[in-house]
Amino acid sequence: MEKEKIIVGEQRAGAAIPACLFAWLLPGAGHLYLGRVGKGLVFLGAIGALFVLGVIMDAGLQMHLGFDDPLALLRSLAQMALGVPYFLARALGFEAGNVTSVTYEYGNTFTEVGGLLNVLVILDAYDVAVGRKR
Amino acid sequence: MASHLLALIVFSVLASVVFAMLLRDDRQSRVRFALMTVGAFVLSAVVVGWLMYPFPN
Repeated sequence: MEKEKIIVGEQRAGAAIPACLFAWLLPGAGHLYLGRVGKGLVFLGAIGALFVLGVIMDAGLQMHLGFDDPLALLRSLAQMALGVPYFLARALGFEAGNVTSVTYEYGNTFTEVGGLLNVLVILDAYDVAVGRKR
Repeated sequence: MASHLLALIVFSVLASVVFAMLLRDDRQSRVRFALMTVGAFVLSAVVVGWLMYPFPN
C-alpha cells in the first residue's frame, strides 16, 4: 500500500533545488526565496552571528579535505556548510585564525555549529518547498 | 569575548533561536521552546563543568 503523502503547505514545483542551493550559499536565503521572510531573516541573523563571532574569536577556517585526519575533515565540512560567508572570510585572510588565542576553540565551535545548523536549515527549506512544512 | 560564561550564553541563545524556528510553528511555542533550550544548554554546561572540577587535568 502506498504511503499517503502529507501536504501542509503550498507546494512550489521546481523550487526545492534552488531553495536548497540558496540556503547553502547564504543562511536563510532559501527561506527568503520561498517567501518565508521572517524565518529567513532569523536564520540569517542567528547563524550569521554565530559565524561572525566565531571569526572574531580567532577560529581557524582551514580547508582540510584528506582522510588522514578525519576529525579535521568533518570540521571543514561543517564550516563549508556556511556557504559564501566561509569562503569570503577565507578570501579576506581569516583562514588561519590564531591557535594561541584563548578563544580559538570557542571560535571553532561557533563556526562549526553555525554550519551544522545551516544543514538543518537547508533541509527545512526543502521541506517548505515540497509542501511538507509551512 | 574572553568570558566563558558570556560565550556559553551567547552560543546558547543563537543556537536555541534556530532550533525554535525549525521545530515549532507558532510564536508562543517558539519563545517557550527557545527559553527552555537556553536554560538546558546553560544548566547542563554548568553541571558538567562542576562534575569535571575534581579532574582539572
